[in-house]
Amino acid sequence: MSGQLSVGLNCPSCGGAISVSEGESSLNCRYCGSTLYIEGDNGVNTVAFKNKLDRDAAIKATKAWWRKGFKARDLKSAGAITEVYPIYLPFWSIGTRVAGWVCGYEEKTTTDSKGNTRTEREYKEEMVLMDLSFSEIACDPGDLGIRSLRNFNGEASFEDMDMIPSFESTTSRDDAMAHARADAMARGRASARIPNITFESLHVLVRKLSMIYYPVWVARYTYQDRMYIATVDGVTGQMLSGRAPGDPLYQSLAVTAGTSLGGLAAAGGIIAAFTFQSEIGIAGVILGLIVLGGTYWFFRHGSEIIEGDFADRKQLASLKKGQLGSLLGGARI
Amino acid sequence: MAEIKCPKCAGPVQFDAGTKFTKCSYCSSQIYIDRSGAGFYYAIPFTLSESDAVGTFKRWAGGSTKAKDLDRLAQVTKVTKKYFPVYMFRRDVDGREEVLLEPAGSTILPGLHRLKLPGGDLQIFDAQFNTSGAEMVQPDIAMTHYLSSLPGKAKEQSLVYFPIWELEYRFKGTDYQVVVDASSSEVFASVFPTRSSLAYLAVSTAGFIAFVAEGLLATVNLYAGAALMAITVAAVFASSLYVARRL
Repeated sequence: MSGQLSVGLNCPSCGGAISVSEGESSLNCRYCGSTLYIEGDNGVNTVAFKNKLDRDAAIKATKAWWRKGFKARDLKSAGAITEVYPIYLPFWSIGTRVAGWVCGYEEKTTTDSKGNTRTEREYKEEMVLMDLSFSEIACDPGDLGIRSLRNFNGEASFEDMDMIPSFESTTSRDDAMAHARADAMARGRASARIPNITFESLHVLVRKLSMIYYPVWVARYTYQDRMYIATVDGVTGQMLSGRAPGDPLYQSLAVTAGTSLGGLAAAGGIIAAFTFQSEIGIAGVILGLIVLGGTYWFFRHGSEIIEGDFADRKQLASLKKGQLGSLLGGARI
Repeated sequence: MAEIKCPKCAGPVQFDAGTKFTKCSYCSSQIYIDRSGAGFYYAIPFTLSESDAVGTFKRWAGGSTKAKDLDRLAQVTKVTKKYFPVYMFRRDVDGREEVLLEPAGSTILPGLHRLKLPGGDLQIFDAQFNTSGAEMVQPDIAMTHYLSSLPGKAKEQSLVYFPIWELEYRFKGTDYQVVVDASSSEVFASVFPTRSSLAYLAVSTAGFIAFVAEGLLATVNLYAGAALMAITVAAVFASSLYVARRL
């Protein structure tokens, strides 16, 4: 490596050394007072949040989480935490403002006492003006189950950065910015609450871009020779994500409740359809099938409890639609 | 930590993988680190030990889509510790920053042809870096091969070694392979023994249809319907518990 790699920075007016931090785009020279504009790669304004948790607090949060939900009943006795350590994860934090107009209509169907149905269109125009925060992890999250920030507040301090291993940013700033714009557009559109949109004019302004290094505690634990991980927010102490073993008892209880309640709802629906009103009947049958589908899902995949933004959880969710379809198809025969 | 000479006073200045601006500790001049003309070597340290990797594999093998008891019945036959290389290019393409990952070596390992760089604490890979006995997979494609064909202007280019555990296991006479990312515990596998949903579907649909029939029967004969329902509750519970535990 040679001197080529580094560039010394001087004030172009007086030649004095200048002091600039990452992300700044303009400054005044300390010596001659000239206003200077920084061209080129000026980086991103970076903050690190101070870690507020210690080892014991992270262990305590993980153990409390073990007891919640439909996790294995013997997890609190058979689970053993083997390793707990903090890391800094990089996040793009982008503040946006979305403004504009959305026009369209909502269709309302009414049935009068004679059984005639009428569909009316109600025209709407809504103004949108919102300030939004968007965040996105700036590296590959691997199996940590974290993709965005839930908390944007913390005490800014770089003093832990040398002590705690920090994951490096490996994604593009402009990709993150494009995602923030798309997110603001979608949220702005959704806030208008218009089902059929005929015209829209929405603009997104990026107001602030920064990189937040956020402290996260990773807890590894074993259960029956298997190794699981869970993560704890290093600022608020809340659980962020984790995997845990499920319990066959809960799985079978779920499917027993689902088949019985779902089956009776469907039976009630069939009776209602033949005796007085077909709409209530059909609603009953559909409700029964939805209850069945949901509990079947837990029965089939409840052997592992997954909380957080994991890639395989998304795959399972897309699989769910397909399997639910085949299940409903099977139930119709 | 890597070291450069201060362009003003020639004193040694240390900097980390993510540093853009730094200050010389001798003459306190501000220095911009320009990575556009150089190639960097980085490596991510191992955070998973061999037993952690096997435990993570077992956790994965115990998942609902894997063959029942795969975690207990799979025999791990071989565990290899490796550093796998990938190129990371940061480019300025028409004013937009783009990060491009390109293969540095050809591989048949599951998941690694998808090209991703697992999150991790990038450290400068030099003579002082401790590879902790891992086999270094050598890149067989040169960085310069990509530099001429990539779009835009260079901002940074690097070769990143990321840590993996390669596991081979045997299940019912067939050999399989998985890769465990030793920085963030992600498991990669292309082929694995799967579990059939048939028994799960059968119990759910049979139970549902029985309850629909008994619900209808109860409107005609309440006692007979209720008695049959009680039997069905017990039957569904017992059979589903068996299925959840064993199949």
